[in-house]
Amino acid sequence: MDNIKLRQICFYFACMMPAAKLLIYPATLAYDTKNDLLLAAGLNFAAQVLVLGAVLWLSARTDRTFFALLEGAFGRLCARIVYCLCAAFFLFSALFPMLEQRVFVTQVLYENVPSVLVYTPFFAVSFFACLQGLRTLGRAADVAMPLFAVSFVALILLAAPHADFGALLPVGRTGAGIFRGALFGVHRFADCLYPLFFLGHFRREKKTAGKVLAAFAAGALAVLVFLAVFYGIFEDIAVLRQNSIAHISKYTTSFTSLGRIDFLFIFALTVVQIFCLCVPVQLCVHCLRTALPRVHPLFFAAAANGALLTAVLLLNDTFLEVQQLFTQKLWAVFLVFAYLLPLAALPLCAAKKNKKREDGDG
Amino acid sequence: MVKLRTRIFVIAAALLFLLFFSNDFGLIDIQKTAIVAAIGIDAGSEEGKLNVTAQIAVPDASGAGKAGNVTAENTRTVSEAMAQINRKTGWYPTLVHCRLVMLGEATAERDVFEFLNYFLRSEFVEDSCLIAVCKGTAQELFSSQSPIGELTAIAVSKVLSSEAEKTGLVCVTNLRDFAKGYFSPAASGYLPLVALRKEAESGGQGGTAQGTAAREQGAPAVLAADILPAAASDPAAQSGGDNAADVFDASQTMLFYRGKRAAVLDAGETLAFNLTETSTDFAYGEVTIEQDGAPVTYSLKIRIRKKKVSLDFQDGKPVLTFRVRANAQIADDSRADGIVDIAKTAFVPEPVLRAAEEALRVRLDAVLETTRESGCDLFGVRQKLHRRHPRYEREYAETVLRDCAIAYDIAFDTLQ
Repeated sequence: MDNIKLRQICFYFACMMPAAKLLIYPATLAYDTKNDLLLAAGLNFAAQVLVLGAVLWLSARTDRTFFALLEGAFGRLCARIVYCLCAAFFLFSALFPMLEQRVFVTQVLYENVPSVLVYTPFFAVSFFACLQGLRTLGRAADVAMPLFAVSFVALILLAAPHADFGALLPVGRTGAGIFRGALFGVHRFADCLYPLFFLGHFRREKKTAGKVLAAFAAGALAVLVFLAVFYGIFEDIAVLRQNSIAHISKYTTSFTSLGRIDFLFIFALTVVQIFCLCVPVQLCVHCLRTALPRVHPLFFAAAANGALLTAVLLLNDTFLEVQQLFTQKLWAVFLVFAYLLPLAALPLCAAKKNKKREDGDG
Repeated sequence: MVKLRTRIFVIAAALLFLLFFSNDFGLIDIQKTAIVAAIGIDAGSEEGKLNVTAQIAVPDASGAGKAGNVTAENTRTVSEAMAQINRKTGWYPTLVHCRLVMLGEATAERDVFEFLNYFLRSEFVEDSCLIAVCKGTAQELFSSQSPIGELTAIAVSKVLSSEAEKTGLVCVTNLRDFAKGYFSPAASGYLPLVALRKEAESGGQGGTAQGTAAREQGAPAVLAADILPAAASDPAAQSGGDNAADVFDASQTMLFYRGKRAAVLDAGETLAFNLTETSTDFAYGEVTIEQDGAPVTYSLKIRIRKKKVSLDFQDGKPVLTFRVRANAQIADDSRADGIVDIAKTAFVPEPVLRAAEEALRVRLDAVLETTRESGCDLFGVRQKLHRRHPRYEREYAETVLRDCAIAYDIAFDTLQ
């Protein structure tokens, strides 16, 4: 039930990971970095590659789960505490992307301001996904791949002719803004933590690391291409254009008579985003189920989704405050969990081997 | 049992998805809906205030929509005007379908982004909507007799279509491009200047609104837009059979610097600008040369193959270079040709080609002179300096438009 295939991990990085970065991220990044937004995003992706490489290195040396590694090194109680902390982190990290998508849905898919309840069906999907474990995550990745591939390419083809890529020049003049943009955007780059929790849940194949890194590179390239097209179209007014996937393709001349047929692709990408937003909630429930196996998973799924639904309803009018909290205040939390934790997990494999050797010697 | 439960859950989730995406919660009463097709903004009678006119298409149960203009007078902001229209009429004005923002001439005397900001802030107004400035007031323009249907905004939109831009007749701008120019280092932009021609008789005159305007302005014969054959002219001017209808001319272009009116380009200058900078790739132009001791006027069909305006530095000095490669074909001339000359219509005599190049150069010189005098950086010279030559930016940021030398590399060839 909790197994995921390598192919599905690759699809996640190539197709689901980029989808979550196409809403408000380009506009907020442009605010900090102006035309240097590709450099800031590139820094984030480079840091993610390091972490991802480390986790893949770890996966090559053990077929045990992260929980088992923690348990072997520090004992069951410590492993449970770490998993509960990670569950809290996953739950927390899922909140802002949901608020972001709720804003997108209510602003773009509705002509007038709809009821706050229109977003609640999402939690039914998320609840279902949480009950099914990592296997559903893999299935979602399988479904997301063709949806994303077709829709993303179509939107880029519609938008690219209207982009002036000269707007990305001069490179590197924003200076400190590039690092600020990368740091403030770190909460959107927590995906590199996920493979740590896939350890022991997927079967290694030939060139596993190469395949995952290639898929990650494809996903990162998709985001960079999108950012380049987005800034090429909007240039100095890019900061105004939130919900960017709804805006970049609308300048196609034929739409004046055909209407916004690009919304078909935007809908498809919205579905992929929904799958993507479920992943941290699924991992939250996965952590809790592993740490506290005696409690029925239904309880965790209901609690996690109930908490998020309540938060989304309560924070309906405070999007900007939450955005500032995530971007400007809590980047350190994301650095610790998404980047330092996987790196700190590297010695676990060695520690276990040493312990075995000592036992053998004794 | 577990499988059945799962299936029921999946079906329920799918139904919820359907509701989620189908906007079923967002239904609004059609009787209270007023689809705003265009917004006109004029200077109010009180200092600093606005008159905002909404051209509204009102859908009704029979399916035959009606048009109406509602004006909110002397409001401080566009948002206040929208609220006033709502209060006055009981209609909820939805701007999602607004495809045209028309500014009255007097509004261009102040920074137009004082009120255009409303459209940039709103998630409900598409920034792909057309924007233009009109002679007189937008209210008067919207009240004119449209030659096609009830909505004047649709007739104006046709004059400002992308097809018109591709043939070089009009400098079409949408809200996004105008805002980009305003917020760029150049702080410059341009809008088509729409003029209302009252009760033009369509059919039988042989001319067009564009042509009439060009002649009225006394535009020179070379590369002016006034030689367009009727078949390629503005569709608004052709419709209506023998009926009298107002038509719209947008052959002039108003230049803006820091959001305010800076200058106006005539029809010939607009065409020259379009040939070198915008997406115009096919145009008509007229050249008069001396042949056998008499002036002969050639109408040319011009197809632009390549165009580029680049800023380079030579010996530390800025040089703005216009590179244009075009093919030309004779569409008509003013003399009685022999049958062989008519058959060779694809081949343009060498003197005519050189005259056409010279005509474009002369027009571009006039445009550049206008931009230098007005400060409107029409060719984005400051932006080119910022993007391509940042090391010279500090030295030339303020003076590059005035100090850059001009180089032309224009070559016309015959169509093959």
